[in-house]
Amino acid sequence: MATGSGEESTSAIMDDYETLISTTDVELLKRAWRNEKAAPEILQYESSLVQRIKEQIELAEQNVEMFEADSIDPLTVSLYQMDLDRTQFLLRSYLRVRLQKIEEYLFHILKTDEYLNRLSKQEQMFARRCTDDLGNHLDETVLSKLPDNYQSILKQSITSEEDDMVPVPRLDTFIICKAKQYLSSIDFEPEYSTEITEMERDLLTFVCYKFIKRPLEKGKIDLV
Amino acid sequence: MYAKKGYELVKEFASGEKGQLQPFNEDLVNQVIDQCAQHYLELQGLIRKMQGENVDVRETRNADHHGALIHHLALIRNKRCLMAYVYNRAEIIRNLAWKVGLELLELPEEIQEKISHSEKNYYGKHSAALQSYMADVGIDLNVDMVPPKDPYIKVRVLDDMGEGILLSDKTANLARHSMHFLKRTDAEQYIARGLMEELTG
Repeated sequence: MATGSGEESTSAIMDDYETLISTTDVELLKRAWRNEKAAPEILQYESSLVQRIKEQIELAEQNVEMFEADSIDPLTVSLYQMDLDRTQFLLRSYLRVRLQKIEEYLFHILKTDEYLNRLSKQEQMFARRCTDDLGNHLDETVLSKLPDNYQSILKQSITSEEDDMVPVPRLDTFIICKAKQYLSSIDFEPEYSTEITEMERDLLTFVCYKFIKRPLEKGKIDLV
Repeated sequence: MYAKKGYELVKEFASGEKGQLQPFNEDLVNQVIDQCAQHYLELQGLIRKMQGENVDVRETRNADHHGALIHHLALIRNKRCLMAYVYNRAEIIRNLAWKVGLELLELPEEIQEKISHSEKNYYGKHSAALQSYMADVGIDLNVDMVPPKDPYIKVRVLDDMGEGILLSDKTANLARHSMHFLKRTDAEQYIARGLMEELTG
């Protein structure tokens, strides 16, 4: 009995420790970064998280400088430095992955309000600039030389009813994910109710992205 | 066969090594564009003919209608091929802007020879857009391309880079073939430009 309760309490401590760790900003950023990397479409920009991380990086930089000035053990300083480097990498990579997605689906993002609203202000500016630049380039090289009715960048010709020249993210690709909690049918879009009904907590699942789009946006699932 | 030239253009792009640019095939691009104009002329000719014969252009399904339709579709196919060619090249050029553009304002000569005038402009503008984004958020995005293992790495200098180059924590004489132990963030930009190589193991 005694040993049993001992194990229980250590596992409870471990659980506490894990929840504590998993709510630090770095861990949240890591999650956002992983999701962003794995998802075929652009996700909501984590603006307050990025802001907090930036502040923490600044603080850590000051600390490292202070340690160096105080000639504290170089090993300790380099450990702090390494931690700082890793966080910076995460942040940079996160922003980078997003910009690359913006570049890839420029026209689609700019004409879909839902997507446009997911971008930060700077990203929106970047997207607009890119669209102008790419538009000019395509115009100059091809479109302006085509017959009148065929000069649209978004449509094949004026007879097209929809924009049929725009690259769109493929939402039916497969991804690997893990639910943070048990998910039942109400967590998924009703239209996919025949495809997916439930998902166990912490179970690695290989699934079509569009089925889990909604719980992902709600933060109930992590992509791996 | 209609739209064959456009197909050749796309094939030429697809057969190239991934991520590498072939010389911009202006000749073929212009030929395809000429073909588009040709198709358009024939298309208009057929429609005028139908109008001349007083048949309803929208509803009639006679030989002229189908002829016009084929010209229309061939034109669209050519357009798609042209756009695919230019668009996919633009993608490679954007990647170049990420990799070399932000440090080096000019592209290396062997790449300059392969791109068209408009592509060169595009490259410059895209680099500028990236740079102004980075200035806005206050973070350099073109360093730290691989996850860091160690804050310092060993590098060998491959080209004469001059003396007294300012790094973040010291100035260094980066003579050719000399080896250094540098901060990774300092060294990465030089590695990307082929001026240094990382020594591993």
